[in-house]
Amino acid sequence: MSATTSGRAAVETGAARVHGALARFSGPGELLRAAEEVRDAGYREFDCHSPFPIHGMDAAMGEKRSRLSWFVAACALFGFAGAVALQTWTSVDALPVVVAGKPFFSHVAFFPITFALTVLCSVVGAVVGLTFFIRQQYTHPVFHSDSFSASGSDDGFFISVLAVDGMFDREATAAFLREIGGTNVELLEET
Amino acid sequence: MGNGTEHVNPTTETAKSAPAAASNGNPSFHDVSATISGIVERRDTPLWWWIAFGISATMTLGLLVQIAWLFWTGIGIWGNNIPVGWGFPIVNFVFWVGIGHAGTLISAILFLLRQRWRTSINRFAEAMTIFAVICAGLFPAIHVGRVWAIYWMFPLPNQMEMWPNFRSALMWDVFAVGTYFTASVLFWYTGLVPDWATLRDRARGWRQKVYGILALGWRGGNRQWKHYEMAYLLLAGVATPLVLSVHSVVSTDFATSMVFGWHSTIFPPYFVAGAIFSGFGMVTTLAILARALYPPVRDFMTLDTFDKMAKILMLTGMMVGYAYIIEFFTAWYSGNEYEQYVFINRAFGPYAVSYWIMFACNVIVPQLFWSKKLRRSLPVLFIASILVNVGMWFERFVIVISLHRDFLPSSWEMFKPTAFDIGFLAGSFGLFLTLFLLFLRFVPMVAMAEVKGVLPQADPHANGHHDRGGKEGGR
Amino acid sequence: MQFDSQTHRFTDPGPFARIMLLAGIAGLALSAVGYFVDARQFFFSWLVAFTFWTTIGLGGLFITMVHHLTGATWSVVVRRIGEALMCALPWMALFAIPVLLGIGVLYEWTDPEAVAGSEMLSRKAGYLNIPFFVIRTVFYFAVWILLARLLAMKSLAQDAGWDDKRAHSLLTVSGPGMIAFALTVTFAAFDWLMSLQPLWYSTIYGLWFFGGAATSVMAMFAVTVSAIQAKGALTDVITPEHRHDIGKLMFAFLVFWGYMHLSQYLLIWYANLPEETAFYKMRWGAGWTAMSWILVAGGFVVPFILLMARGPKRGRSTLAAFAIWLLLMHWVDLYWNIMPALHEQTVILSWMDLTTMAGVGGFFLFFFWRWLTRHPLIPVTDPKLAASIRLVSG
Repeated sequence: MSATTSGRAAVETGAARVHGALARFSGPGELLRAAEEVRDAGYREFDCHSPFPIHGMDAAMGEKRSRLSWFVAACALFGFAGAVALQTWTSVDALPVVVAGKPFFSHVAFFPITFALTVLCSVVGAVVGLTFFIRQQYTHPVFHSDSFSASGSDDGFFISVLAVDGMFDREATAAFLREIGGTNVELLEET
Repeated sequence: MGNGTEHVNPTTETAKSAPAAASNGNPSFHDVSATISGIVERRDTPLWWWIAFGISATMTLGLLVQIAWLFWTGIGIWGNNIPVGWGFPIVNFVFWVGIGHAGTLISAILFLLRQRWRTSINRFAEAMTIFAVICAGLFPAIHVGRVWAIYWMFPLPNQMEMWPNFRSALMWDVFAVGTYFTASVLFWYTGLVPDWATLRDRARGWRQKVYGILALGWRGGNRQWKHYEMAYLLLAGVATPLVLSVHSVVSTDFATSMVFGWHSTIFPPYFVAGAIFSGFGMVTTLAILARALYPPVRDFMTLDTFDKMAKILMLTGMMVGYAYIIEFFTAWYSGNEYEQYVFINRAFGPYAVSYWIMFACNVIVPQLFWSKKLRRSLPVLFIASILVNVGMWFERFVIVISLHRDFLPSSWEMFKPTAFDIGFLAGSFGLFLTLFLLFLRFVPMVAMAEVKGVLPQADPHANGHHDRGGKEGGR
Repeated sequence: MQFDSQTHRFTDPGPFARIMLLAGIAGLALSAVGYFVDARQFFFSWLVAFTFWTTIGLGGLFITMVHHLTGATWSVVVRRIGEALMCALPWMALFAIPVLLGIGVLYEWTDPEAVAGSEMLSRKAGYLNIPFFVIRTVFYFAVWILLARLLAMKSLAQDAGWDDKRAHSLLTVSGPGMIAFALTVTFAAFDWLMSLQPLWYSTIYGLWFFGGAATSVMAMFAVTVSAIQAKGALTDVITPEHRHDIGKLMFAFLVFWGYMHLSQYLLIWYANLPEETAFYKMRWGAGWTAMSWILVAGGFVVPFILLMARGPKRGRSTLAAFAIWLLLMHWVDLYWNIMPALHEQTVILSWMDLTTMAGVGGFFLFFFWRWLTRHPLIPVTDPKLAASIRLVSG
């Protein structure tokens, strides 16, 4: 575990390393309210975990809109340009063959494949890009919590504050999470 | 675990609580996870599943044997011959691609239209799409004759310095169907990620590891969800024109030609409407079966869902009917005898039966759904949805088979399907059902995260909460 | 112009209606002069103007029926705009009269000598003949007016008190209404526009015509929303979310329309049959090429790329700007389809193109605005109204 990114800034506290704090909230509305509190308290490295996306959470957390669309747009452009280049080069330069009296460069006939490859690149870009944007990793401090592992993807609503946050303090943060209505507040400790 | 007929939850509770909660029409979040995951988690596979799997796997084996024989002998084992050079293989190809359209339609278009009822059937329909496209892709692949040279269809650099002819509609198919398959798989998988996480958290041992790998370490944080939602929106936005383009491209296989009855400018949208129609027919058929065989999903696939599916069947059926009418009228209006002859021959010629089967199934049958009672009657809907696909198969048959009257009477020839033609069609159904049964058994058939997201209690404002002026843009 | 946010009506509808009426009268008067200057030009210009405004009215009818059929929530707050647009259709029937009067000028197939000299035309005479054409046009309008009146009357009756039965009857009208709409609009496109080049045919033509109508009606929604909000009406009721939805639909129909154009072009280009390519040969001939490119680039490519973004669809002025541009392009589209029958060689813009647009459009907008301002701007009793106002989308 020490090799993971999350382990880097963990706070050494005696035997166990604390990666952050976790609190449970009773429902989506409570989670949204609590997110606003955490945001207003000045925390940055926190996240709100829910089994489904909650409307308005970005604003509550002070998050910007995802920039994935720009990445996908770039992929689409690549696909478009690549398809035009491929078809033009092969049909005009590499192997010019007269078929059905069509011109070598037939923009109309190239349209379907250009479209298909544009879509193909944007779809692959969206999914590959997603894995980067969500910081896909198999290990994360929240998985140290049994209660998160049991219900985080079922019906649990959690807020995690990571130790890498400058404001994190194992006592104060836990108290704060309790104060804003969190239950089962626990420290994410390596065991 | 326990009582074989009821759904069983290997962890702890809720074999009883889910139906109880559903009786007041509002399952809890946990009921959703427990009910849907329970189907995948149960160790005692029901008997009917084994029987169905046995039959369909046998049919698939039959298909494989036939394919082997086809490679050994050549495509002469089919009824295709001049002038009907395109027989069952292309009919089956178009048929299966068409069926593959409903999945993406439900996932993408209905998502963009904010049709919440889609959450109960979208996973299901997406899976069906993938399997249908697999069946579809099989036919052109085995129809090429020299199957060992099939990679020639792809633009791979080679020592012959040969390249595909990108001006050919058949080459468009390769790219359109290939893209569609890739996009469908990725869309389906993206939708599955949060559900794999649910299964991961409920499982123990090696199952947990497998699900964990599939779930990509999903932790459900909003910093993940916001990108996830954006990705889903983008995939839906891109898949929508894609789904329209795929069957349009398939239609150009026919419509770019100079064959009367094939060359018609309405073909692209007409094929798309037909594809959605048959795809919805298939989704309806399978959803009714799944609902009958898996009682727990009844809480999610409600009669309201079927009511809406019946309406879409009616709508798309009438779009197809519109195309039939306009094509017929324009054939007359064109003043072109060949064009007119093709249409009269379709309706009153030697294959008139297939034309009228097509017309009755696709245009008349969906008219039943003007009645709300019939829309909500599952037996009626089940039979109608099967008839829809019978009709749509015959539609493609009617189009392809109109080749039997060439320009010169000396080259007129009837088309007779051989036993292999029928065998391949049956085998493709076997393959489709095999894959589908595996899906039902091993993959959550309802999108749990999405269903949870549209439950009334998922609305964070349900208790009168108002945002305290979110300062957007934290960092 | 003042708006009462209690009754959701304009207490003072402002000078817009009067200005439009004056524009309409002036446009008609000048166009009448044009008739005596160059009758052929007058009738063709009239046909463009007439189809332009009729398609917008038809779009209103379509959107209203879709609203009832789908039971949509978001569109409740803007439903009245569609209803007001379709209620201008009866007046468009009046403006169809010059088309019928000019039938001999507009349509080659009305000339008995031409028909006798062409075997193809004589084969089509069973459909393309003057009495049947007139009957059909009357029939189309009868259907549209009947549907529009039924839907509008029932909808307005709801304002006095919501009745679930009446709401359901709107649904029962819209179902068969949609079938009638699909067929009448298709054949209207065949009659009014496709038969301008009587030897040419395209099965997709009705869908192309519908695509233009649907795109421009959403553009009209956007412009109207922007206009009434600029006057302080419904500023809290119609939110960026609604504009976003209008923009998305406008975008979707734009893509639909482009798809129809592309399908027609691609298939005709590929098969390269002389009787079909004649249509495009003319439009890609020397004098029409520029307009064809304007249609491709300005009508589709540029708005398609720009409208993909989220911002332009949510902003009041940006959305309205795109909408006005697309309305202009709708006119170009119709002009491009109609006018080559008159000016085969090259585009010759005439002042009558402008006066007929003003004449028909002035009256269309007058009746549209009058209907809109006489009734509450939103269906006040609709049970889905609150949910519609509260709309949240992505």
